[in-house]
Amino acid sequence: MAPRDNSLEPSGTPVPVETGFATLAQLRAGVKAFVEKDGEIRKAEILMIQTRAGKPKFYVHYEDFNKRLDEWIDAARIDLTREVEWPAPEKPEKKKAPANKADKATPKADTKNLKRSRAQLDREVSGTPSEATSTANNNIPGSIQRKDSELLVTTEVTDGATPKPDDEEMDIVDVQDAAAAAKAVNGNAANDQYSREDEIEKLRTSGSMTQNQTEIARVRNIEKVQMGKYEIEPWYFSPYPIDFIDVDMVYICEFCLNYYGDVTQFERHRSKCTLLHPPGNEIYRDDYVSFFEIDGRRQRTWCRNLCLLSKLFLDHKTLYYDVDPFLFYCMATRDEHGCHLVGYFSKEKESAEGYNVACILTLPQYQRKGFGKLLIDFSYLLSKREGKLGSPEKPLSDLGLLGYRAYWQEIIVELLMDGRVEANIEDVGAATAMTTNDVLHTLQNLNMLRYTSKNQHIIVLTDAVVEQRERQKAKEKIKGKRSIEPDRLIWKPPVFSAASRTWNW
Amino acid sequence: MTQRVTGQRFRQRKLSTKQNLPVLREKDIEQLADDDATRHIPKVETGVEKGEEIEHHLQAVISAAQAAAQGGGKIAQLYIPTPDAVASKLQYEDVYPKKFTQPATYIRFSSTVEDTIGCPYCMNGEDAAWLKQYNKNKKGVQCTEDDLEQAINFFEETTQTKQPYASVDNSPVLAYDDLELEFDETIGESARKFAKDIYEHWKQERLRRSGRPLMPALKFETNLETDDADPYVCFRRREVRLARKTRGRDAQVTEKLKKLRKELEDGRFLMAQVKRRELLMREQLALDKQIFQQRSDVKEIKRRLSIKTDDEDLLINQRPVAKPKAPRVDTQVVHRNIPGMGPKSQATRPDGRLVDSDLVYLEDQLAKKTELIDNFIEENLHKHQKWNQGWVDATWRPITPPLEQVSSKSDFRRVYTDSQLLTPPTSSSSMENNNASAVEKSKKSNEPRRNARIRFATPPDDVPYQDQSRFRRRTGRGGRIMVDRRGVKRQKIEDFDERVADRYNYAGESSEDEQVHPVDWTDNLHIRYRIMIERQGENRNVQQAAAAAAASQSRKSIENHNRSVSGHLLPPGGTPKAG
Repeated sequence: MAPRDNSLEPSGTPVPVETGFATLAQLRAGVKAFVEKDGEIRKAEILMIQTRAGKPKFYVHYEDFNKRLDEWIDAARIDLTREVEWPAPEKPEKKKAPANKADKATPKADTKNLKRSRAQLDREVSGTPSEATSTANNNIPGSIQRKDSELLVTTEVTDGATPKPDDEEMDIVDVQDAAAAAKAVNGNAANDQYSREDEIEKLRTSGSMTQNQTEIARVRNIEKVQMGKYEIEPWYFSPYPIDFIDVDMVYICEFCLNYYGDVTQFERHRSKCTLLHPPGNEIYRDDYVSFFEIDGRRQRTWCRNLCLLSKLFLDHKTLYYDVDPFLFYCMATRDEHGCHLVGYFSKEKESAEGYNVACILTLPQYQRKGFGKLLIDFSYLLSKREGKLGSPEKPLSDLGLLGYRAYWQEIIVELLMDGRVEANIEDVGAATAMTTNDVLHTLQNLNMLRYTSKNQHIIVLTDAVVEQRERQKAKEKIKGKRSIEPDRLIWKPPVFSAASRTWNW
Repeated sequence: MTQRVTGQRFRQRKLSTKQNLPVLREKDIEQLADDDATRHIPKVETGVEKGEEIEHHLQAVISAAQAAAQGGGKIAQLYIPTPDAVASKLQYEDVYPKKFTQPATYIRFSSTVEDTIGCPYCMNGEDAAWLKQYNKNKKGVQCTEDDLEQAINFFEETTQTKQPYASVDNSPVLAYDDLELEFDETIGESARKFAKDIYEHWKQERLRRSGRPLMPALKFETNLETDDADPYVCFRRREVRLARKTRGRDAQVTEKLKKLRKELEDGRFLMAQVKRRELLMREQLALDKQIFQQRSDVKEIKRRLSIKTDDEDLLINQRPVAKPKAPRVDTQVVHRNIPGMGPKSQATRPDGRLVDSDLVYLEDQLAKKTELIDNFIEENLHKHQKWNQGWVDATWRPITPPLEQVSSKSDFRRVYTDSQLLTPPTSSSSMENNNASAVEKSKKSNEPRRNARIRFATPPDDVPYQDQSRFRRRTGRGGRIMVDRRGVKRQKIEDFDERVADRYNYAGESSEDEQVHPVDWTDNLHIRYRIMIERQGENRNVQQAAAAAAASQSRKSIENHNRSVSGHLLPPGGTPKAG
């Protein structure tokens, strides 16, 4: 509900942080205390306090850890021998009208939800609702005071540095300038504050599936999910029906992705459900996986279910708007039981920014098995078929960044190692359907782009990169290589009229 | 990641993405003394949100990768830790039976989730317990799980439509009687039997959940202020982005709509008219039939009453006698051939009668006409005489009409009659034949009886040569006068009513591309063609006959062959395989 502060930019006036010792009873939401995590002591922010079975429980977010590691802890893990940071007091003069509105609305919804669903809830989140919101906002040291209404849109920042492939002006990329510009945008973001309305307008018009931070409830609402052969711990909040806060396990049908809070209900559903694969056309099949193409407009329920599920594992996904303008490419493995959804990526029917992927996810139970690379590879194969360059929509998650970097590295290094003596960045992009910027990013990141004393740029296949590639090849030889075979894709880029891209019953 | 590069000492050339850059291995490049130069290439954004970019685990992995890229020794396999996914205790095989067989071709599928999950309500633990209890106490037919679900689903859906805000405004649970009134095909026969009992259970559950639906549902937008801040509200409708509104656009759109509307109307009107025509046609056919029947009835009656009058009046469809055509047509035809006397000089009323002279006598007209013709001829004669003065005219022949072609001469045929024909009427050419006085006399006497088909005027230009009726009078031996005629059409036995013909004009499917070429079947070319066709047909007949003869011949020979065991020569065509 309230955003975690995401600003790193230096602020003019550093806010003095009030510190002091606290007792257990004094702890409240917004307080930062030292908490033991896996044997080490880390600073963590308390987001919510509840009493369960007579004992207080704290929902904490560890500083510098991803939100997916937030958890409920016992009081015993909080180290009260060290000073805690108190949330900074509210600064009313900084408030703006839209912020006020949001402030008022947020806690109302909050308290309503909680009151209804948690009978055993002894203590409200914090004293007064308005205080709760403001304290959540204003407590990170070194940050300027910002309200819900202000947020940094990463996409914007990236755009500053992104040379558009069709932009003649940017043919010669002055990377330095671009970076400086990005920096400037970044710095200005503090002054250049987005109103909430602006943000929603942007969401609406750009068709983006990524979500602004204010939308995200900070506390996970679902305990555990049962799906197929697995039980999965959700990573983030997802707007499943509010009733599921109370249940220990949410059962999700592997094929239709419907959700049930009761095991009897789920079993009854399974006895009736006839779906055995994602409800769309199969466009790719090899002996390992199949891909199904599903139109958000035609399969509204299924795609909504998919989005709810994937929201459990994607922080920056938004479910604010409906699924109509997206196509969902779902990867599944097959056996006698049916086609098991492994992962998917969504794609705008028409992307103004030239994105070829909106959201991409390998379900956690299938992660670290190489499926992510297949998904990425497939998304680029579609782009090649369309004759376009593509890039994933920003912001990327940490796992997304690593996944994409690994893929880019493999493909680009492979391409450059074919014995050529010359290469130009745009051609590499064209051959791989990657944007110039992504190629540039990869080369730089691998330290492959150098500037010689002869005032010339060169591409260096560094020993480390070559060695890494050789090692990967050796591994592939032993384990076998999974890849997407372009010949097996039976697909034509779908064409949509303007009406079908937007909301339309 | 992005660090401001400082300490630039020289301006660096921009990196061109279009230029070919040399690709080198590390061993091939000189070790740069100036390590700074490398650092001058700045980092591109990672695309990860700033707040998350500094996260501990990501940084650990990135720096490990960085170290690997720099060749900094062995890389530790680092992962970003994620919450667990473990094997479920649920018996997978029980819940997901092996039902899938993979088709040979790629799957094509368009059913929705709603189509495939059956009854959307699924029984929960409480329902199951209640059902068990209920069936225990129940004698006779047991209530099945499907019945229960069907009934509850019906109650839920009806409530949803009747009281959409039940969860908000605390409206009372609908009474059973109200629900019973709504029973439709979604609730089966068997479920209805238990509906009343299930209702009680459902009501309890509903009250327990304070009026909220039994199946947890997503929260959609309610257009309230609180929507925006509520993280549970999802899948809002995405409005259509409006195009910029201008006057011109509005007008354009209106015009287009109007045009479409009009076209639609036109199409509809046409169809209506066609329908009307067909109906009228049917009516007319019915009437025709009725007339026919009534006539035949009349005939019957006449027979019975033995009235002996002409049956013909009754049985033949009688058409109204066509009105005799106005004489104006003739005068016009004549005038057209006279220079300076265009048809425009005759002002006519739309109904074809002359405007000025209320009463025009045929006599006067004819007199005028003959006078004009006479004058014209006279004038021309004088002209010729004038031209020819002082000249020997060697070209007088061409002025007379050209000789008729040899082939067309045969067109003339004799008129054969049983009785002696009347003296043929005079023609203008006969006037020059020196017996003017006789002609003059006969003209007077003939005029009243003049037949419409025999004229003295020059034939009109617009009638093709072959179609022109021509007559020739000659005097034979012994002073016999013979009239030869050519191109005279026999009068049709029955008048053909144009109005009737017109009725069927558009009845069939018509095509504008179709063109009708008028063909004259009496034309020499066509006659010759017909003869040729006929001859070919004869030839073919001859050939066929020959072939048939040959076939029978060969059959005979085969029979012979079969009959005689001794070595007959086989006919060259070969025989069909025996057996």
